[in-house]
Amino acid sequence: MSTTRTILICSGKGGVGKTTTTANLGIALARQGAKTVVLDADFGLRNLDLLLGLENRIVYTAQEVLAETCRLEQALVKHKQEPNLALLPAGNPRMLEWLKPKDMQAIVALLERQFDYVLIDCPAGIEDGFKNAAAAAREAVVITTPEVAAVRDADRVIGLLNTKGVQPVQLVLNRVRPKMMSNQEMLSVDDVTDILALPLLGLVFEDEQVIVSTNRGEPLTLSDSSSPAAQAYGNIAQRLQGEDIPLMDPSQARRGLRARMRKLMQTRIF
Amino acid sequence: MTLRLPDQRLDHWRDRLPDLLNRYSQPIVDLDCGDWMLNCSDLADLCAAVTEAGHQLGRITSRVPETIVSASALGLDASRSNTPSNTEDRPNPAVTGPSDLLFHHGTLRSGDHLQSDRSILLFGDVNPGARISSTADVLVWGRLRGVAHAGCEGSTTAKIVALQLRPLQLRIADVVARGPDDLPQVGLAEQAQLKDGVIAIEPAVIQSLQKR
Repeated sequence: MSTTRTILICSGKGGVGKTTTTANLGIALARQGAKTVVLDADFGLRNLDLLLGLENRIVYTAQEVLAETCRLEQALVKHKQEPNLALLPAGNPRMLEWLKPKDMQAIVALLERQFDYVLIDCPAGIEDGFKNAAAAAREAVVITTPEVAAVRDADRVIGLLNTKGVQPVQLVLNRVRPKMMSNQEMLSVDDVTDILALPLLGLVFEDEQVIVSTNRGEPLTLSDSSSPAAQAYGNIAQRLQGEDIPLMDPSQARRGLRARMRKLMQTRIF
Repeated sequence: MTLRLPDQRLDHWRDRLPDLLNRYSQPIVDLDCGDWMLNCSDLADLCAAVTEAGHQLGRITSRVPETIVSASALGLDASRSNTPSNTEDRPNPAVTGPSDLLFHHGTLRSGDHLQSDRSILLFGDVNPGARISSTADVLVWGRLRGVAHAGCEGSTTAKIVALQLRPLQLRIADVVARGPDDLPQVGLAEQAQLKDGVIAIEPAVIQSLQKR
């Protein structure tokens, strides 16, 4: 029995940050010394390679590995700066039909032989793409944002994961705006956990740096960035590894940010 | 002529079936399973016993929906029987046994739909986007935040009870109501019932006190 942790990263709704989370968690885990592979199961709309800056290095996909036209080592794309991290695209965007749940299980079984963490980037929706991606997962991280529609879709996905026996399922609350939360213009953390009833793995604050880093193809966690999102992803990775890191408190976040700004100003002045 | 399985309270069908089949003369056996709740493996045993006795199994009738479902699953010709139940004329009809109640443990999440032709007791929440419907009462030991339908085959006396009643929509028989917009009182179980043709919500009534 391998000790590899195969984690599905899913959300139901699109645009809540599955791929961004997968990329950042992958880098963060690799930086903490774990051999990690990120598997892009959303191969119809393949983005994970873009976010990791590896788009131009992809030659083969898992499809070729299973067809035995190439070896697994040839299809795995090692990250430029972080050798502990590898990317495997599940398939070719033009051949959507080929992948079946058993293919996914076969790929993951191969990956589990040589990695500590297999992160599966799940496509949005609950149709075949989701079913394929979920077929091979042992545990799951559900990403949601403090919006009614995202929470509703996450709830649906959690229900489906429960019927598939994926355990444990943990929650990441993404794109939290502390100011809107404190003004009660947004669902609060309690509102979300109240409905979803899952252990909270982490909170990620809305951060403009995410957009910058995404466009540049360098995940935030790659540098020692002090941006709140980078720290949040780092914390999530540590919690996944079993460390006890306290959750960020949205009501303290603004004060914290301001204090950090002040510190930054002071260092520049001196 | 139909072969009837023995009354549940008198004899077990497994003990009596060989004897009954020996006395049965026709080649094709139409079987009335009465109140027996038979699962697929019970029915498979039953089929085997019939074949062993040199007969062939024809129609199956039963008063228990589970038996009909199991029989259909095995590809047997099954339907609901209309012979009166022996248990219906028991002295105390007010006592409802566990067969009148579906117990479900666990939260219904968005997209789930729990249906039953018995009253449902749910130990868990009904989340927004989930549905729960019963031909009789819906009792939720938890928070009801989805859609609940009691008496979905027209029973106007059906009611919906929840520890926290904050549904998106309530339906009783063919009456539909939106859930209340304001927050309910905390820690107060509430129930919804039809009153003069509209759905009214009030604090849940303790039935044993009501009867006195």
